[in-house]
Amino acid sequence: MKIVVLLSAGLHPVSGQSILPKVEAQALRLALALGEARGRHAGPTAFPASDALGHGLPHLVHVEIPAEADPVPALVATLEADQPDLILAGRRGQGGDETGLAPYAVASRLGMALVSDAIAVERGEADGTVIVHQALPKGARRRLVVRLPAVVTVHPDAPAPRAFAYGVARRGIVETRLAPPGLPAAERLEERPYRRRPKLMRSAPACGSASERLAAAMGATSSGVANVMVNPTPEEAARAILAHLRAIGVLPPKAA
Amino acid sequence: MGAYAFSALIFAMVALAGWQISRRVAWWRLGAPAEVAWGRGLLALPRRYLVDVHHVVARDPYASRMHAVVAGGLVAASILTALAVLPPLGGSRLYWAIVALAFSVTVIGSLLVGARRYPRKPAKLSAGRFQILPFLLLAYAVGGLISAALLAWGGASAATLLPALALAAAGGLGLAYEVRRGPMRHAFAGALHLVAHPRPGRFEGRPDTALAPLDLDAPKLGAETPADLAWNRLLSYDSCIQCGRCETACPAFAAGQPLNPKRLIQDLVAGLTGDEASYAGSPYPNARPVADDTPPLARLIGEDARIHPDTLWACTTCRACVEECPMMIEHVDAIVSLRRHQTMELGLPPEKAAEPLAELRGAGEAGGRALSARTDFAAGLDLPLISVRGEADVLLWLGDGAYDLRYGRTLRALVRLMRDAGVDFAVLGAEERDTGDLARRLGDEASFQDLARKNVETLNRYRFNRIITADPHALHALRNEYRPFGGDWTVVHHTVFLLELVEAGKLAPGRLAGLSVTYHDPCYLGRYNGETEAPRALLDLIGVERREMARSGKRAMCCGGGGGAPVSDVAGERRIPDIRMGQAMETGAQVVAVACPTCTAMLEGVTGVRPEVKDVAELVLAAMETPR
Ligand code: SF4
Ligand code: SF4
Repeated sequence: MKIVVLLSAGLHPVSGQSILPKVEAQALRLALALGEARGRHAGPTAFPASDALGHGLPHLVHVEIPAEADPVPALVATLEADQPDLILAGRRGQGGDETGLAPYAVASRLGMALVSDAIAVERGEADGTVIVHQALPKGARRRLVVRLPAVVTVHPDAPAPRAFAYGVARRGIVETRLAPPGLPAAERLEERPYRRRPKLMRSAPACGSASERLAAAMGATSSGVANVMVNPTPEEAARAILAHLRAIGVLPPKAA
Repeated sequence: MGAYAFSALIFAMVALAGWQISRRVAWWRLGAPAEVAWGRGLLALPRRYLVDVHHVVARDPYASRMHAVVAGGLVAASILTALAVLPPLGGSRLYWAIVALAFSVTVIGSLLVGARRYPRKPAKLSAGRFQILPFLLLAYAVGGLISAALLAWGGASAATLLPALALAAAGGLGLAYEVRRGPMRHAFAGALHLVAHPRPGRFEGRPDTALAPLDLDAPKLGAETPADLAWNRLLSYDSCIQCGRCETACPAFAAGQPLNPKRLIQDLVAGLTGDEASYAGSPYPNARPVADDTPPLARLIGEDARIHPDTLWACTTCRACVEECPMMIEHVDAIVSLRRHQTMELGLPPEKAAEPLAELRGAGEAGGRALSARTDFAAGLDLPLISVRGEADVLLWLGDGAYDLRYGRTLRALVRLMRDAGVDFAVLGAEERDTGDLARRLGDEASFQDLARKNVETLNRYRFNRIITADPHALHALRNEYRPFGGDWTVVHHTVFLLELVEAGKLAPGRLAGLSVTYHDPCYLGRYNGETEAPRALLDLIGVERREMARSGKRAMCCGGGGGAPVSDVAGERRIPDIRMGQAMETGAQVVAVACPTCTAMLEGVTGVRPEVKDVAELVLAAMETPR
């Protein structure tokens, strides 16, 4: 299995120093547990992605692009050439004006599925599959069997990263590649002054208790009610979906 | 004829010992190279032995007397007997009477050695070959005494002399044989170790305690196997006499954590040769399971190796073991070398230390807090920034204690005292980074050096006369460990500075009569920097009743907070600060005076009814508010 970990140039949330985002070091740990992995970073310098070498990454491919360039085309072009089975990334950007969308953009251009918020990844029983343990809100977990190739983003609840080791970093290799020619230039972001917008209220249901109506108006999902079913049978799952669709008024109420 | 046979025995003993030593030397040569000032060391040997070693040995008066008698007798009797090859001496009955006298001293010494181990051996002493030692000594001494006496009285015949000589030979050759693996090894290895000591400054009256910078481009970082340690370090471990003084002093041992410095040194010895006699002293308390059998020169640390990582990380780097060791062994250097390998080559610092180490790299501060928040404790005090002023008489280094609410009170007291005394001072504010002390003790030398360079660069941009700090760890780093990185300043502990201000009449504290105080010496001030008097003088000046704990000054017990031990958090049976607080309570004092942010935090963390914990600066400030 060919594994690539996408590494970004993050900033420390307090000091603002360039650092490797912690969640990417966590992604690296998941990757190394699965097998041999390589790192991939597109940016003007390999640092701070090269810190991943100290967390146990043996080989980092650094695609050199200008500071203002969009990293996605460069990543896509080199990844298309390498054909990895599994791409791991952090779940959100930590680099100032990053959008955090790079994994999604990469997955979409490579035509791969994206599974978000993994806390563990194991090899699947069938060849060409992995089992992803996904973190859902409120501490819920879900186990997915994912057919490769796929992009998986990693959640901060994944196991802590391996400690950085200076000596290990010395042994790692950084391979610098020039970005393939003819890449489209980065879309220039348009800057506009912030404008307040009216808050859209979902139409509150007329029935239910005051707190239910408040919760509905604030867009909160019904808390306290289990909305996660673990390994349901298809019939149970279908019934649950039907009940939900009825409850929110998509389907007419069950005929009495 | 008998006289010749007798002195021939001595030559046989020397030859056997020499052979055994040469086998040992071959092992030492496996170690890494080290620079040794041979000439200076050889010249200094008598002084190092008679003054420095004696100074430590004399703390145990029985052991000291015992050693003087038995070693003095043994050496004198053996040399005198050897000289008997010279015909005029060997033929003189008076000479043999003198030899007999020397042997009788040895007999008394041997009995003293035996009396320490029989009928009951103290727990700190090792058994095994050490229990046989008194018998070997006694056999040699008694055999020698009888032989010499027979020769002196002229009553020597083959029939009488032979059994006596045989007894002396059994003991003497046994002792010589023991030079390689047994207790007698300490004599030769110890003498050579004193000559080739890796920290000669110790004998020159300065505290030579700074860790040596590690070459970060070296092919292997830190020590993995015994062969990665310098040869004179391997030699020093061979000089261990297993007296257990380090074990008695070690706070981690007392707390039931799996560390025993004596055992650790023996593990380093055994890890080298593989044919070491099995260890027969007290074990690591609550020892974690490790490999049963490891080949010589193998990796030392690991759950599958000789020494469990918990043993390595339990050490607070307090240097109590080094202070107590009569053989002048440097345990902490060994521990830090091994830690460097674990952290920098294997990426295996203690689990809970990974986060603070990462924050030190990313934020310059172990808690990942904003550097600008370091001065939050001084809200309303309006600390002058040196970046605004450009220069100041005194630069106040705040240290990481400044982030702690409790310790902020101490720093506020210090700032107010400095204001009262009209001191021209300033702080670095957001430019002050962590000194890297924690990273260095946890084996992350790379982060330490990075922080050291950055701090040196910052400090050298400003003009000031002295650095004052209330943190002995920062003091030690700035004063001693930054030197190789270009840091050369006068660094003064706040207690010394306050004493100076009082003595100069700039501060006029009143007297806190009726308050009883016991002072807890911080390891990094007392043992690392030899400063124990200023805080005591200050306490006397403010008129408190000062009581001393049984362990104080350079022999004080650690609070448990050094060396990254609080983040390593190795499980034991008791907590070190609880033990230390217990010792403070034995004095009956109402207040435990501290002079270090780490000690403050550790001792404040002790639960239950206990004396108050106050920094010396807080006590001085309180005295300012009472009439003289
Ligand atoms: S290391 Fe020093 S103090 Fe400890 S047992 Fe050996 S000789 Fe004694
Ligand atoms: S430095 Fe202190 S904690 Fe470490 S082994 Fe020595 S006495 Fe024990």
